[in-house]
Amino acid sequence: MSATTEATGARSGSWKRLFDLRSGDTLTKVIVILITIGTLIYILLPVFWMLKSSFQANVEIRALPPKWLPENPTLQPYENAGRLIPLWRYVWNSLFVSVTASVIATLLACSAAYVLGRFRFPGATLILALILLTNLIPAITRTFPIYFFIQDLGLLNSYGGLILSYVGFSLPFAVLLLRGYFESSAPPELEEAALVDGCNHFTAFLRVILPVSLPGIAAVAIFTFLNAWNDFLWASLLLNQGEMKTIQVGIGDFAQEGGGPQYVNAFMAACVVATIPALIVFLFVQRWLVGGLTAGSVKT
Amino acid sequence: MVRDKLIFCYLMVAPAMLFTIALGIYPMLYSMWMSFVEYDLLRIQQYGTPFVGFDNYVEVFSDPRFVQTVSNTVLFTILAVSGTLGISLLLSQVLNAKFPGRAIVRMAVCVPWFVPPAVASAIWMWLLNTERSPINYLLRDWGVIDSNIRFLTDSTQYGPFSIPMLAIVAVRVWNGLPFAVIFILAALQSIPASLYEAAEVDGATIMQKFWHVTLPSLKPVLLILLTLLIIGGLGSFEINYIMTGGGPNNLTNIMAVYSYQQAFSFFRFDLASAASGVILILTGFVCVYYIRAQFKGTQQ
Repeated sequence: MSATTEATGARSGSWKRLFDLRSGDTLTKVIVILITIGTLIYILLPVFWMLKSSFQANVEIRALPPKWLPENPTLQPYENAGRLIPLWRYVWNSLFVSVTASVIATLLACSAAYVLGRFRFPGATLILALILLTNLIPAITRTFPIYFFIQDLGLLNSYGGLILSYVGFSLPFAVLLLRGYFESSAPPELEEAALVDGCNHFTAFLRVILPVSLPGIAAVAIFTFLNAWNDFLWASLLLNQGEMKTIQVGIGDFAQEGGGPQYVNAFMAACVVATIPALIVFLFVQRWLVGGLTAGSVKT
Repeated sequence: MVRDKLIFCYLMVAPAMLFTIALGIYPMLYSMWMSFVEYDLLRIQQYGTPFVGFDNYVEVFSDPRFVQTVSNTVLFTILAVSGTLGISLLLSQVLNAKFPGRAIVRMAVCVPWFVPPAVASAIWMWLLNTERSPINYLLRDWGVIDSNIRFLTDSTQYGPFSIPMLAIVAVRVWNGLPFAVIFILAALQSIPASLYEAAEVDGATIMQKFWHVTLPSLKPVLLILLTLLIIGGLGSFEINYIMTGGGPNNLTNIMAVYSYQQAFSFFRFDLASAASGVILILTGFVCVYYIRAQFKGTQQ
């Protein structure tokens, strides 16, 4: 929030203020700034390396001393990536699975979170405890039974099986986040007013509570989308055949085959493509994501 | 009216509950059961799944590779959690201060969040590739080292540490940093400014303000973050699996990878479940604390 309320006057004076304090503070600040710069390099180097490599010829990537900027930027790697693996098909698979899982998980989480946050009914505490517990079970513990479960349903190597497991995987966290959010964004008075105006509980939820909670809901939707988009473990088990693979599994396979030293640039191009959708989503909804996340999770 | 409300509540919560049970609780119980029977996919047709008590646990713990894996996991978790916490505490302080270009730095810090673990592993594999690593090149160029560091393949052990382990931890920290920073940043913004003003009147230095105002106010949030990070670390899988597959010499093998290999390389789902059972037990200790904290939060 303070980012938006920042006065322009404070901005121009802030460089000066950085150094005009006590000498002990100046030392602290210098150290902090140095560490921050180091950390920023650590954070950005891999991303930069990936980006620049995806526009270079292979010879240039492997050159020593390293070439930090492409001398002859080329889009060839992206074309090659599309030829070596069915890149765009993989991206499409990932998008389809992630968006569907995100929509389903968010809808289910909204309805559950609302009643768990607002009403007291027999079993509510137990349900909440079970959801909390599920949120904390390590993925690997659930992997094998879910694998057999999906197999028994006949959904191995289908989009449906993967979507089901993503919904199950994201749901607990989504419920917990939204429960906190509904409590802070939609006061009970709002709902009481709707009931007086002739809504029943469900229409009040649909027409009054949901609209005022959109930022939180968006944050949850994005979170579940990213969960699914970023996932490698489940996708590699449940959907690993032919053209139906998700992009992460495609990348993982590519990496383990050594990335083919002769195809590094194509590989890096594939990595860029696998990262960009999530990044675009993030840029659009940055403020919502942070706001929605904090309202729900850090309310203590 | 009361009955309608109850029906409404249960209807709203039912779908989420169904998913939670089918894909969370049931798989966990099933996995526990698998760890107490013989569940060898190669023998299951002939012998079924006879109950064997604690035999699977005895068998994994008599495998020196597994014992090493357990200590690796604990070490990995401690290093990754302390690294993430330390850096994110510092970065969140910096991002909470006002300085020119803060919005850009904040966005830069968030970038690794949107790099999927599979992609992150792949890029880092290239950055840490012994022969081609630009990091090695720079270090050699500056005269820091004489011969290339074999980041992912050096099997020399320095006490409990090894270079591949530290490299993997660095990648894990890299990937997990943004979440921790945002988490802490959100909490920082809710600390009342009056506390800092009071400290300033008393002539406190930056470090004193950090120790006596910031840290105590952050404590509840930091404890939640700590639990989440520990749980994530204990169950961590992708980065180790893709980057080293547990090697060299089992030095970077962690429990989730061991479990996965037992299941899908050797088809010993019983041993895999026992190994993941150990993760579950370790996680359980942490969870008990986390759940208590969450419930305390809701009652206030």
